[in-house]
Amino acid sequence: MQLANIDKLIKDEYAFFLKEKNDWSLTAGPQDLELVAHALRVLLHARTTPDFLPDYLALVDCQNADGGWSPFSADEESTVWVSAFCGLMLIRGNRLLGNERITKSVHRAIDYFLGTQKSDGHWVDPRWADLDTTSHPVSFFNVALGLHEPYRRADVLRSWERGGRFIIDNQSSDGGWYDADFHPSGVEITAHLIQDAVVADLVIERRLRGADESCAKGAAKLYEWQAQDGSWDNENVDHTMDCTRSLMVVTRILNDTRAEEVIMHGLRWILTHKNESGWGDFPGEETNLERTCDGLDTLLKYKAYRSSDPQDVVRLWGYVS
Amino acid sequence: MPAQWLAACLVNELPPGGRKLIKLNGIDIALFNIGGTVFAIKNRCPHRSGPLIRGFTDAAGGIKCPMHGWRFDLRNGSSERPAQATVYPVKVEDNTLYLLL
Repeated sequence: MQLANIDKLIKDEYAFFLKEKNDWSLTAGPQDLELVAHALRVLLHARTTPDFLPDYLALVDCQNADGGWSPFSADEESTVWVSAFCGLMLIRGNRLLGNERITKSVHRAIDYFLGTQKSDGHWVDPRWADLDTTSHPVSFFNVALGLHEPYRRADVLRSWERGGRFIIDNQSSDGGWYDADFHPSGVEITAHLIQDAVVADLVIERRLRGADESCAKGAAKLYEWQAQDGSWDNENVDHTMDCTRSLMVVTRILNDTRAEEVIMHGLRWILTHKNESGWGDFPGEETNLERTCDGLDTLLKYKAYRSSDPQDVVRLWGYVS
Repeated sequence: MPAQWLAACLVNELPPGGRKLIKLNGIDIALFNIGGTVFAIKNRCPHRSGPLIRGFTDAAGGIKCPMHGWRFDLRNGSSERPAQATVYPVKVEDNTLYLLL
C-alpha cells in the first residue's frame, strides 16, 4: 500500500469529516458524546487540535457535577465508558492546548474514576460489558501515568493496577476475552483490551505481571480470528478497524513482525469496503460519522505504523510523549 | 397521523429462518421469521445504531445487535439494557405480510 495514496485518502476523508462538523461538534449544539470523543480523536491524530479549542472547552462545559459525562451532552447522569473516552481526549488534547480549565476538568475526571471503581478493580456501565468498560478508565489512567500527571498519582497508580489486574485475570486461557451478553465472539473486546489497557504497561510501568504474555496471546487470537478476506467478526467494519489498529500498536511494542501481513490484509479489506465518503458498519451500509472517524483514525495510525520511528504509532495511543 | 397497516412483502419471501430488510414510510425495518412467527423491528439499534438485520436471533424470540450485543425481545422491543427498541405488529392477509406503522 502506497503511503502517497493513504495521504490522499486521509486528506479527502478529513475534508468530509469537517464538512459534517455540525453533526459532531458541541459548538453546534448538544451531541452524542461518544461521537464527539471519536471526532476529537481524529483531531488529535490529524494534529489539528489547536484549531479546535472551543470544542474541547465545550466538552469541559458539559462535564457533570460528579466529574463524569453522560452519553448525551444534555443529560446529567454520568456513565463510565463515555466519561473515560471524554477524559482521555481532554488529557491528551491538553498536552497541546495547555488550558487551565481543561486541567481542572481532568482532575475532576480522575476523582470520578477513583470514586466509581469496584473493590475487585472493575468498573460498571450498563451500556457496555464490564471488561470493556474497565479498559476505558484503565486507558485514561495509562495516559495520566504516561504523561506524569501528578494529581492523586499514588491513588491513580493503585487504581490502575487493580483495573489492569482485573483485565488480565479475566483473560480466557485461549487468549481471548469474552462476555456472554455483550461480546460472545470476543473479537472486539479482545482488540480493545490489549491495545487500550494491557499493552501500555509494557511501555509505562511494567507492574502488571504477565502483561507481555497476555498481549501476545491476545494478538495471536486476533490473527486466528481474521477471516480469509481480511475482515473480522462477520465483515464487521467497526471490529475490523478495531483489530487492525490494535495489532499496529500491540505488535509494534511486542516487536512481533508476523502482524505485518495481517494488518495489511485488514487494511485492504477496510479500503475495499469504503463508501465514496466515509464508512458504514458493514459493507454496503450507508456512511455513518462514528465509523468514518474510526476509519480516519485507522488511516492516521497506519501512517504512523509505517514511520521509521517505531514509537510514532505508540504516541497515537498517548502512552509516550 | 393514525397508525395504519402497510404491506411489507409476500409471505413466501420470508420463509422460517429467513430475514429481510424493508423500508416503509422511510423507516428501515428488519423482518425475521423465527419458527414460523414473523417479527418486525426498527433496524437501527438504539445503542450505537448497529444494523439489527445483521444480528443474532434466538429461539426465545430475541435479537442481539452485531455491534455490541444488546439483546431485544422481538415481541415487545424490551431489553435488559437502558433502551427499548421499536417493534411493529405484524399480520397476514391474502398471502401478504402487513405491518402496523
